[in-house]
Amino acid sequence: MKPFLPAPVFFRMLLIGTMIATLRFTVGITSCVAATDQDGPACFVADRWFADEVWEKVGKRTCLKCHNASGDASESAFVLQDPDRDRTRRDAVLRKNRLAFEDQLEADVDGESRLLQKVVGGLDHGGGEVLQAGSTGYRVLQRFVRRLNGKPDPLPSEVDDDPVPFFDGLVMMPPRQLLRRVTLSLVGRLPSHEELSKVETEGLSALSPILDDVMREDAFYERLQEAFNDILLTRGYDGVAEGALSYEHFKSRLWYQELDPNRDRKSDEKLKYSHPEMIAYTKLVRDYREAMLREPLELIRYIVGNDRPFTEIVTADYTMVSPYTSRGYGVFEQVRGKFKDTDDPFEFVPTKIPALTSRNGKVQESKTGFYPHSGLLSSFQYLMRYPTTETNRNRLRVRMFFQHFLGVDLLELAPRTSDAAAITAEYDVPTMQASDCVVCHKIMDPVAGLFQDYYVVDAKGVYGPRKEGWYEDMFVPGWGQEALPPEERWRALQWLGQRTARDPRFATAMVEHVWYILSGRQPLSPPEDIDDPMYSAKHRAYRVQRNEIERIADRFIEADFNLKVAFKEWIHSDFYRADGLATEEDDPRRRVELDDVGLVRLLTPEQLERKLMAIFGKKWGRLTDREAQLNILYGGIDSQEVTERITDPSGAMGAIQRILANDLACRHVAADFSLPAEERRLFPGIEIDVVPGGSDEGDRRIHQAIVHLHALILGRNDAPDDPEVQRTFDLFAGIVSDAKSRPEIDPTESYFCQSQREVTPRDPDPHYTIRAWRAVVTYVLRQHEFLYE
Amino acid sequence: MRRRNFLQLCAAAGLGFSTPVAASATASADEADRELPSYDGPYYIVFNASGGWDTTYLMDPKGINEINRLYKHGDILTEGNHRFAPNAKQIEAGISNETFFAKYGKELLVINGLDYSVNNHSPCSRYMATGKLDSLAYPTFAALVAACNGPDVPLAFLTFGNYSATGNLVPLSRVPYLNSLNRLANADGVDGSTRHSYHDDFVSDRIERALEAQMQARIESNRLPRVERSQSMLYAAQLNSRALQRVTPFIPKSSPKERLSRQVDIALASFRAGICVSANLSIGQFDSHANNDTDQMKLIPELLAGVDYLITKAEQWKIREKLVVVMQSEMGRTPTYNKGNGKDHWSIGSIMFMGAGIQGNRVIGATDEEQFLVPINPETLATDKQAGIRVRPEHIHSALRDFAGISTHRSCDNFPLKVAEEERLKNLFG
Repeated sequence: MKPFLPAPVFFRMLLIGTMIATLRFTVGITSCVAATDQDGPACFVADRWFADEVWEKVGKRTCLKCHNASGDASESAFVLQDPDRDRTRRDAVLRKNRLAFEDQLEADVDGESRLLQKVVGGLDHGGGEVLQAGSTGYRVLQRFVRRLNGKPDPLPSEVDDDPVPFFDGLVMMPPRQLLRRVTLSLVGRLPSHEELSKVETEGLSALSPILDDVMREDAFYERLQEAFNDILLTRGYDGVAEGALSYEHFKSRLWYQELDPNRDRKSDEKLKYSHPEMIAYTKLVRDYREAMLREPLELIRYIVGNDRPFTEIVTADYTMVSPYTSRGYGVFEQVRGKFKDTDDPFEFVPTKIPALTSRNGKVQESKTGFYPHSGLLSSFQYLMRYPTTETNRNRLRVRMFFQHFLGVDLLELAPRTSDAAAITAEYDVPTMQASDCVVCHKIMDPVAGLFQDYYVVDAKGVYGPRKEGWYEDMFVPGWGQEALPPEERWRALQWLGQRTARDPRFATAMVEHVWYILSGRQPLSPPEDIDDPMYSAKHRAYRVQRNEIERIADRFIEADFNLKVAFKEWIHSDFYRADGLATEEDDPRRRVELDDVGLVRLLTPEQLERKLMAIFGKKWGRLTDREAQLNILYGGIDSQEVTERITDPSGAMGAIQRILANDLACRHVAADFSLPAEERRLFPGIEIDVVPGGSDEGDRRIHQAIVHLHALILGRNDAPDDPEVQRTFDLFAGIVSDAKSRPEIDPTESYFCQSQREVTPRDPDPHYTIRAWRAVVTYVLRQHEFLYE
Repeated sequence: MRRRNFLQLCAAAGLGFSTPVAASATASADEADRELPSYDGPYYIVFNASGGWDTTYLMDPKGINEINRLYKHGDILTEGNHRFAPNAKQIEAGISNETFFAKYGKELLVINGLDYSVNNHSPCSRYMATGKLDSLAYPTFAALVAACNGPDVPLAFLTFGNYSATGNLVPLSRVPYLNSLNRLANADGVDGSTRHSYHDDFVSDRIERALEAQMQARIESNRLPRVERSQSMLYAAQLNSRALQRVTPFIPKSSPKERLSRQVDIALASFRAGICVSANLSIGQFDSHANNDTDQMKLIPELLAGVDYLITKAEQWKIREKLVVVMQSEMGRTPTYNKGNGKDHWSIGSIMFMGAGIQGNRVIGATDEEQFLVPINPETLATDKQAGIRVRPEHIHSALRDFAGISTHRSCDNFPLKVAEEERLKNLFG
């Protein structure tokens, strides 16, 4: 296992770069050493003032849209590049952009900077007025001119060149708690005694090998599939699951119908659904459909589980099939030897399916004889989830492709046009002719063309080219500036997958996905409002997190795209471990910087159920049971209509938390006391006849019992005299005392909460301690440490 | 808890919500119940015709230049100042335009010639819902008004779909089934029972007091901003959830089968119980790239029937005068038909309002004979081709915030719309 922390050379480079940047800030312009022909002169780190002020506030937002190699102003003398397009060249690109700005700002027209005149619409600027004189952006450019001219900048710098280290003053989670967080998060269980013992003695360094083992457990892969479905939503395609297999190409997709016990029975002889044969048949159909839904996620499981490069999610030249789904594809006989148990509907193995044959006998073009698998890109389920229509022409797929595999939301910041309707009406093909449209469509439409053979628009399948041939009023199929060679057309998605895997944005996007899986939220976006007084604080928070994402992406690439490495890097990172403040923080800017720091994730219904299982040994079930209707209410998703999880609790969710706490305590407290002490989970060290105030020893045992409950349910590591323990003790003692003063109270546990329902006599509770402990468990289950991660 | 102290601490933490009204530790049950948060209106309902409605088949009729195949220019109907497309003969279910305008024209404010600026579903939905095109952080109007007017009621912002961002101001609630509210109404009763509680009353009181003391202790400790926020939200959610008990009497015994009516029932029950400020209602499938007329003739009547159901029920329950209703879609449809008899995306459209404080029988803005917008004078609201402005969602939202009386609320501070003073629509709502 390679170290998870940045190598010392990283820090050296960072230090050198910072020194150079600082020096450059001081002298304005610095000389740089030559790097490559492609990048021109390069520096370790581009001028921070230029990067944070001129580029972030003006260049990126105002100039880049037109002043790029394919934009409206591509013929001008001021052409910029997007440094975010390839992070490995960011510094070089920023330097080039700075030189371009310098040229324009220094160019003097009638005694004033050419660029300053252009941005306000002067000198026949093709884009008209893009900044108002006096606006923040304009003032940034003015200051840049002054700096270039060696004049003093009268305003304080917005860029802090010697900031306090970002995580200074933050308290990191102790290894013991971190271990519990990780095992609950990834495999839905509490840490074992052995694991706890290791981190107790070895500290954080023990975590890495433990994680290696954790990420071999089956539960990790169940979590991984659930999490990637949150991202990809592949389970949510329309219709029955086997609908992913088209009538046109898969004659055996309804293979189960031959096993229908009622298939050959007359209508008056048909078996009822409650008949054992029908129950078995219904289960078989349900399992087949579930297996179909799981297939894309099983690919992820296979890749990660076998330490294969995660790039295979877009390049794998195979698909995953189970004994049931392989029957649907009609390849069961070919692959049956690969299965350990041909009756297991959920045993998946990799295989290639033959090139598709239509009902008229026409066979899909393929130089290998196989369907050109390309990971998820060619998965029927993925393509069904994001279908095409006559009008979107695969563009929905392309949008999702960019979002899922490159971390780019093409529609996130759709450019505003002066009159979109007029543009639509003015041009024959606005998407190819109107610059406002071309900006996105030049990126989107070539990729849409790569999906052209997957153009079934009636949602009754996936594969099938457009009868009239691909659209000529779209940019030709390809990737960036590269057109799809005709000989690659039959495997266009494989061609796309290979380029996707090589794109630097792929690794970053996958690292962002892992952060989403661990934290339940997307990484920060750059702040939008440059007039916001907190802009620089927000930008710093964004930049620090972005640097961490890119650092982990580098490690992920070095590890041959092993996704487990991305998990481990995040788990060891300060972002995952930050847990509190060492001292009170009143500085508003610092508070803004720290606004998103700390995991603090409301558990999903599924995570909460797993946690309950880990703690109580039994699931509650009501959060995941469809009949209970609580899943969506508690922020769950159905992958189709409801696709985003709720991350903040509403009053409805607050009510569910109260129900959960009440009900779980009701089910488990008396039941736990009814067991021999050594078999108890909740109360191994206390009995119901120990009452508070009875003796010092009794009080000590009660405190210890509370410490145990806090550790078990909340993951706290309290001392017996911790104020939180005392608060819980006071609750327990207060209830017992109140009950003692109410002689009318029944000396037995509630009928509904006794150890065994409908058994008499009910559990004796002469001192009201069972009910008081039940209140304690209710109280603990309602707490932040239990409901959040 | 000392409410004032708690609120001050929440404010210090920068919380725009999570201002729970805690029952006093020593208050009687009745007193505690009276202190449960309640909201008494106005109630805001946003109807979303998701996918892009064809405004020329509703409130902005054309009948010329082959824009509409189902009627001619001479067939256009009027009701007061409203002009609308006839459709009574085409529809099979729902409410016709004729019925709708006859019934509600006097209350209805229509704005035509709204410039969505772009014509993709995702950014347009976001823009229409928030008034901000180029940000993923802004809250929808429904969420914003809930955060300003009643952040502590348990279902402050209900959503049934469409763009529903909250700007982290207020939690959103999804309640897909009416009867699920019943299950939540009495969280302390065994299986929701009102007769059998899990704990004796004095025990429940003790639990609440312990949680309250714990919260107070945490407020006084050093916490990360994110921890502060989430702890306050959790505490507020649990505490305020007790107000859900008020919804039970308002839950209808049966639920209608129409999709909007089901949503309306949940929203109205929540309004009547005082536990909800705003609701985001939605029906989809308006994206009629194929067979535009068939689809729009099915969906527009369904949408109008949903609005009619809302108003009728609200009147029956005597809260009609507290309703503010917004009817919108994220885009319009092109003035021409494509080869599949459908219409594609058009960045010009309309929005309609009715309800408390809105002067009806008015049409503001227009589109021309080719369905391009005609600018309007923001001062007079009259069309002005030469000197008028293009009305965009930020203009509408800015006026809407003023109308709702929330423009100066601190929850709006982080989400400025930056409409220049000279472009603010004066007296838009009358």
